[in-house]
Amino acid sequence: MHISFLIHNAYGIGGTIRTTYNLANTLAEQHDIEIVSVFRHRDEPVFRHDPRVRLRALVDVRDGGADRDHAELRRPAQVFPRAEGRYEQYSALTDRRIAEHLSSIDADVVVGTRPGLNVHLARQTRRGPVRVGQEHLTLDSHSPALRATLRGAYPRLDGFTTTTEADARAYGTKMRLPGVRFAAVPNPVPAPGVDPADGSGKWVVAAGRLAPVKRYDLLVRAFDTVRAERPDWRLRIYGSGRQKDGLRSLIDQLGLYNHVYLMGPAHPIEPEWAKGSIAAVTSSLESFGMTIVEAMRCGLPVVSTDCPHGPGEIIEDGVDGRLVKVGDVDAIAAGLLELINDDTKRQQMAHAALKDSERFDPARIAERHEALFTGLTARGGTSRAGRVRGSLHRTRGALLGGAYAVRDAGRSVLGKGRAA
Amino acid sequence: MTPPARRPPVPGGADEPATTPRADCVADVAGGLTFDVTDEGGPCPAQLLLRRRGGQEEVRLPLTPAGGHHLRAALPAGVALPEGRWDAYLRAAGAEPRRLAPGLNDLRSLVDRAPTATAERIAVRIPYATKHGNLSVRSWERAPHAEAGALHIGDGELTVSARLYGTGPAPDAYAEAADRHGTFPPVRADVAPAPGGLRFTVSYGALRPGLWDLWLRPGGAAGPRVRIARLLDDIVDKKPVYVYPTVGVDTEHGPVEATPYYTADNDLSVTVAAVG
Repeated sequence: MHISFLIHNAYGIGGTIRTTYNLANTLAEQHDIEIVSVFRHRDEPVFRHDPRVRLRALVDVRDGGADRDHAELRRPAQVFPRAEGRYEQYSALTDRRIAEHLSSIDADVVVGTRPGLNVHLARQTRRGPVRVGQEHLTLDSHSPALRATLRGAYPRLDGFTTTTEADARAYGTKMRLPGVRFAAVPNPVPAPGVDPADGSGKWVVAAGRLAPVKRYDLLVRAFDTVRAERPDWRLRIYGSGRQKDGLRSLIDQLGLYNHVYLMGPAHPIEPEWAKGSIAAVTSSLESFGMTIVEAMRCGLPVVSTDCPHGPGEIIEDGVDGRLVKVGDVDAIAAGLLELINDDTKRQQMAHAALKDSERFDPARIAERHEALFTGLTARGGTSRAGRVRGSLHRTRGALLGGAYAVRDAGRSVLGKGRAA
Repeated sequence: MTPPARRPPVPGGADEPATTPRADCVADVAGGLTFDVTDEGGPCPAQLLLRRRGGQEEVRLPLTPAGGHHLRAALPAGVALPEGRWDAYLRAAGAEPRRLAPGLNDLRSLVDRAPTATAERIAVRIPYATKHGNLSVRSWERAPHAEAGALHIGDGELTVSARLYGTGPAPDAYAEAADRHGTFPPVRADVAPAPGGLRFTVSYGALRPGLWDLWLRPGGAAGPRVRIARLLDDIVDKKPVYVYPTVGVDTEHGPVEATPYYTADNDLSVTVAAVG
């Protein structure tokens, strides 16, 4: 199959970008893959792509770039939805370039990676290619105005993926999208380039933006309880963000400065997970929960709040981690102490975490996307019959080619940046 | 997967650009480092070069094939690497050295490092990414050494736990806070045995505004001065991570605020500022 991804900015850092590269690189073993970036603001992408993946941009806004001072950049977008979070960056120029791209696209499958681009896909893709929208956040995180726009446009998609079953259900019940095929496909997370943790270090590790939604204040408070019982254990929190000063004050106020450390951002994060023995997630919301999978792939059992949407679909409570009540300091502390105080249970869960997280390997995840794409091209999407037969033929050939190779662990790590 | 003949593949993972040579570093518990560099198939023999920043010294480590398209160089703890910052380069035979970029640093052996109490000399080498994204190695070599542990900030005072290497405390051992600029005389503090080492308490009220460096005098006034530092872990720059509360105290010279901190060399000091 020829599969074309449309992404906001393939040259930046972020969860969607990383996920798209991981997926594209894996699919490129069997298929003809291109990534089309709406914007290009730097010479080279941060993430490395497989040489077989073609990368190009529609609007070049680099210093000295061809579109840097384009007059149409200053005129507001008409197609890209006004209620979308990135609306301010879009313009009459992006409207036109994306329209030109989609109306002439030569692909079997075209994939959008955010709501505004999915709307472009639904409205402007020429007859022929199968149109697949991706939701990397959640329906519930969108404003009513954006949801109304999406409700109008998304029925023209052929397929749609969410990162969790919970979000797929939300789309199923709250949006009327007849004829659109849904699939919940988690984000791929490659095996780390370092050996898994050996579970001997008396460290709890957390990593993420220091943002209110992550509720690291609860984690610090819970660690006050942990310290009272197990002063030999300590906590490292990786990441940066505007909660930093507040967390610093809380640590000082509780006298936890010998036990809780704000480490700052770490790139790549995998070697930092490997220094710990337990990972902690205390969020009130995780649209997927990439850090949970990352930690598990490094051999850490995760104690996580059972918040919407991802954690409960990643962690099997009591088997490869612990799910605890959202917003409850005592529950978080109890979950941590349960694993701290029982070395055998912790080691068992660590082994289970390592094994159970293999299902997020890019090879496995790519197969699930491929199955969706294949089903849709076989169904015909919006295409003519002759084209369908051609696609189907190519698809069968690809499937007979065999499964995807499991990633070379040593090369699968981030150069920079991490999931939002 | 069958690797291609010459260069290793650039498979799946969303990854770093392939233009700069990279080294993965693994630390061992003794303070040694191993560097793994991707074999670009260039002329042999290749070397990993460490150049002391701001100096002329060079340490050359042979790179030898380690399988899987990797070249490996070792820097054992016993090899001298004088205290400082060392920039890492890859030099193929007959070619100009090229600056190395950091790959994966596996420093788990350095976390909670606890050399045996009888260790005469403490060697610490921590690979890190510079702010320009290059690979450098920070080195410390100290004999004797006083390793700072937990700090406790009390009511107008600071209690420091420390562990001594390369010397033991004599009966007349003491600690002192020394004015960095030498304007005021050192302030002495008695040391007491503590689990795993010793401890002492500095009264902030005795410190005038300025910067005060903390030293141990394990052999008393006639013995060596040993700078108290925190070196035995994986964190190259302690200051932003080991952060301690500021407390105010009234002194006979007026109110001050005092905060312990780690210097750029990870030595322990106290900053004292007049209030108002």
